[in-house]
Amino acid sequence: MDIFTIGFWIAGGILFIVSIVKNKEKSKEAMKKSKGMMKNMIGDIIGIIFMIGLILTFIPPETIERVLGSGNTFLSSLAAAVVGSITLIPAFVAFPLVGSFVDAGASIVPGVAFLTTLTMVGVVTFPLEKKEFGTKFAVTRNLLSFGAAISIAVLMGVIL
Amino acid sequence: MKALLKKNKLSVIIVLIYAVLMMVQRDMAFSALGNSTYYLIEMAQILPVIFMLTVAIDVLIPKEWIVKRLGKKSGIGGAALALAFGSLSAGPIYAAFPIAKTLHKKGASIGNVVVILSAWAVIKVPMLANEAKFLGPDFMAVRWILTVLFIFGIGLIMEKSRVKIEDDDTQVKQAVSVKQDYCIGCSACEKGMPEVFAMKEGKAYVIQPDMKMESLDEHEKKRLMNMASKCPPKAIEVNG
Repeated sequence: MDIFTIGFWIAGGILFIVSIVKNKEKSKEAMKKSKGMMKNMIGDIIGIIFMIGLILTFIPPETIERVLGSGNTFLSSLAAAVVGSITLIPAFVAFPLVGSFVDAGASIVPGVAFLTTLTMVGVVTFPLEKKEFGTKFAVTRNLLSFGAAISIAVLMGVIL
Repeated sequence: MKALLKKNKLSVIIVLIYAVLMMVQRDMAFSALGNSTYYLIEMAQILPVIFMLTVAIDVLIPKEWIVKRLGKKSGIGGAALALAFGSLSAGPIYAAFPIAKTLHKKGASIGNVVVILSAWAVIKVPMLANEAKFLGPDFMAVRWILTVLFIFGIGLIMEKSRVKIEDDDTQVKQAVSVKQDYCIGCSACEKGMPEVFAMKEGKAYVIQPDMKMESLDEHEKKRLMNMASKCPPKAIEVNG
């Protein structure tokens, strides 16, 4: 567990205990509600996780490297944004991967597009987002995020 | 059985893919399973915290406070608070869903819900340090500023375009409900089926308002019907 997750545990734990001390009845009720919400999600989350495992097997880091490094910046940026939307690789893998490309002299635009869609656009988590917030919300948020990622990438190419 | 399959469509498809892969490409199936392990551990580490946090938000933060600080009229201060909250969290984006939903139910605006979700996904403090290390502080800083601006933009657009978060407990007719006006608070239903009913301020209510009849087996269904007919004021309503 990294230090941040531990901090999150400590903060969550303290607040949880304060809630129970402050209002036991209300906490019990909130726990029932929260349990229901979690139960509703857990099946989908586990499904999503095994889906990510499959996707990582079919789109390994070598494929991502090929996409990021291909000649045409426009096409590779678009492809990188799409690959970033589909995969969900941990940040500590993604940053060194993109870093090695930028160091080797490749354009940063595809790299930024990839990094940004990686976290902000979730094709794999879409079914869950749709279930929790509704189709219109999930579609709009993901489309806008995709557009934002491309814009951020282009702007960074101009600025840096 | 059919309903159960329909409810877990995603899982069924994934199990099928793994089964096929096991037969044709055994190595790939094992590698996919191996890849999933990291994320399963991540989930196990984060979900208990999410559970505790949703409870704490529900109990400790008054509704008025959320409406004022994160509601429709909270303005740029609300967006900044949402940004800070999302950035200081840990865990993957799906972990943000229950938190965002709980906040929305208590009065947080759509725009701020979007800011929390996006910030939670993209700009986490430990990730920023990692980014600066591998891509340089300039790269990190510029990407951070641009991302924050765009996240606020997306929040604003979604707020203005009146995209609604579908609230499943109000839209769908509840499968099981307790008519509050009729309930006399005898708590017979709570004692009979504590997994379905609970008491609040002297009245019974259904713990999971979005529960479906399909999720119950025949025996449970029978017990529920029996319970409803035994309710002295006949306040329990069962549809379907």
